[in-house]
Amino acid sequence: MPAFLAGLNPGWLLIAAGLLALFVRGRVVRQVITIAAPILGILLVSGTPHGVDLLTHETLSITLSFYHVDSLSFLFGLAFLIAALLNAIYALHTDNRIQDGMALAYAGAAVSAVFSGDLLTLFVFWELTAVTSVFLILQAGTRAAYFASMRYLGVQILSGVLLLAGIAYVWNATGSLSITAFTSLDQPGALIIFIAFGIKAAFPFLHNWLQDSYPKASVVGAVVLSAFTTKLAVYAFARMFPGQDELIWIGAIMTVFPVFFAVIENDLRRVLAYSTNNQVGFMICAIGVGTPLALNGAVAHAFADILFKGLLFMSMGAVLYRTGTTKANELGGLYRTMPWTTLFCLIGAISISAMPLFSAFVTKSMILSAVASTGMIVVWLMLMFASAGVLEHSGIKIPYFAFFGHDSGKRVKEAPFNMLLAMGMASFLCIAIGLPAFLPGFGYEWLYSLLPYPIEAANYQPFTPGHILAQLQLLALAVFAFILLQRLGLYPPEKPGVILDTDWTYRKVGYGAVRWIDTVWARLGPAMTAIFRGFSGRTYDRLVDAFSPRGVLSRNPVSRGMAVWTAVILALVLLVSYLRG
Amino acid sequence: MTDETPTGRDTSGRFVKRAVETVNAMSRTNDEGIHPMSKVLFGWTETKNIGAILFWVLAVLSIILVLADLVIDRHEYFNFAESIGFFGLWGFLSFSFVVLMGWPLGRLLRRDENYYGDAGGPPDDIDPGLEGKPLGGGHGPHGGEH
Repeated sequence: MPAFLAGLNPGWLLIAAGLLALFVRGRVVRQVITIAAPILGILLVSGTPHGVDLLTHETLSITLSFYHVDSLSFLFGLAFLIAALLNAIYALHTDNRIQDGMALAYAGAAVSAVFSGDLLTLFVFWELTAVTSVFLILQAGTRAAYFASMRYLGVQILSGVLLLAGIAYVWNATGSLSITAFTSLDQPGALIIFIAFGIKAAFPFLHNWLQDSYPKASVVGAVVLSAFTTKLAVYAFARMFPGQDELIWIGAIMTVFPVFFAVIENDLRRVLAYSTNNQVGFMICAIGVGTPLALNGAVAHAFADILFKGLLFMSMGAVLYRTGTTKANELGGLYRTMPWTTLFCLIGAISISAMPLFSAFVTKSMILSAVASTGMIVVWLMLMFASAGVLEHSGIKIPYFAFFGHDSGKRVKEAPFNMLLAMGMASFLCIAIGLPAFLPGFGYEWLYSLLPYPIEAANYQPFTPGHILAQLQLLALAVFAFILLQRLGLYPPEKPGVILDTDWTYRKVGYGAVRWIDTVWARLGPAMTAIFRGFSGRTYDRLVDAFSPRGVLSRNPVSRGMAVWTAVILALVLLVSYLRG
Repeated sequence: MTDETPTGRDTSGRFVKRAVETVNAMSRTNDEGIHPMSKVLFGWTETKNIGAILFWVLAVLSIILVLADLVIDRHEYFNFAESIGFFGLWGFLSFSFVVLMGWPLGRLLRRDENYYGDAGGPPDDIDPGLEGKPLGGGHGPHGGEH
């Protein structure tokens, strides 16, 4: 690689290309930029040496490291660049400068963040992901998207501000901005940074920004959004909180609770948002376990998730593009006219369900094995429960209610070719990394060889008869349960409506309280002002009447008398003081 | 220089042409808008009694997989997970529990679509040719949330 390219951060390249795309009116030129930049980025990062600060800058006695690749950050960066390429292809049918530019800059910010060598650089790009991504929600152009984007921005910026505060604590305590793992949440700044990361990872009770915003984004926007923010947070946790016990339980809860929301949710893009929570939970749980096998599993699963979740969002985007809705009760039977989209959606659904020969099988197996090796039975059972839950909402519900099930009578066209191409490429990758290694370095072995602990990865065998049988049993009996419940009429029908989540506390209670205070103040304020004005006005009038030059006390007879009496009282006071004194 | 290739054996164009025709035919929808590939890929779903067939296929498959535990020796970290059909049972119970919880949870948590006052149409970037697509304007970010 030429020397001048060796230090070029592919993230910066994407950000520069994104900013350029904002100003390029020619659609074809812009499309060339959006596709060429990620390809060049993939080539750049593939040839980059690991473990070296490739671009540093000294300022105010702080050494900033802008480009540092190692075995942990490499796969995240690579996955983000692949996602940026697929997203650019998926967006080729559109002509939207802001969306093209911001999608690229957002991907670039995420790549730059994972390749940051110090906390301050991480913070800058952490914030840049928030600022660039909000446009992807706004591009939907609807009123709901506008309000959701404002809530999204508020939460994301809060995460950034907390991160900055935590960095200040770290700087104060250690005098260093290097990104080193915390060993305890009691360390200075650790808890604040933990919460900052937790917001972006959509921890339970901090998760609503995700379900609120992604389903309201534009068709292309939701696809782009699905890849980066939560996975950047996963990277940050893997980097700074590996083996943190709290993450085990937080992750396990994250895998379980979205399952219940997803089953009753009608908007299929919102189902996928809950599914994102659920999958990130597996990664967070593994990071909490913190063993080499667990961290390998977390990174591998993040890589796989970016592909299959992107694929599922793409397929629902195609449905939304053609039908104008992703509401399950309005869809059904679309396989008749969108067979390719159906096929690709099914590949995504089978992949996320961890069917052997598909991607999540080789990645989630590591996490489940790592958790089981800790002996934490309840956590392991929660993850197994969530695995059946994934099959319910992402494996069956998404494809079944969109493409099969009740025929909605919609006879729309198949998705545009560029969308099919992007979905086809994502499908190929979902299968390619899930295959056994028929040849050395082929199939899952390719992914395993790039993991942070390649030796441990090479020693792990996902395709054992026991693993395969256990997973097939789980999936087959769960699908059987679906068919049985359908035949018995026990599967809840898809109904339109909003499903309340904990965002109710601020969208209804909090907002209601503020509205109430506003209404009360609007009435109380003028009334109090009137009372005050009346009181002070009357007092003023009386004082004027009494003391002004034309007032009562200034009229000659009385004022003379007043002066005499004042002199007499003063004399008496002086006399008493003197006598007492 | 003369062209020595016999015209009757120049088959490349013929194959390409046939391939293009096939591809075109596979992407041309019929009058009812049905995509020809749908028959190839998913025609089997229109089989009569497909529900019953799938039910029995899955039932038999499930039994086979559970019985396979007798033959294949699974090594699990927890002893109880090595019992016959454990993963199948856990999958069946988990799935059923999640689905059946959908009834009470739906009743508890489902509200009107405009509960938050922001129900609206699809995003702007849907298919411009879509019938009934709302024209631009009329759903901009104005007017307050409630």
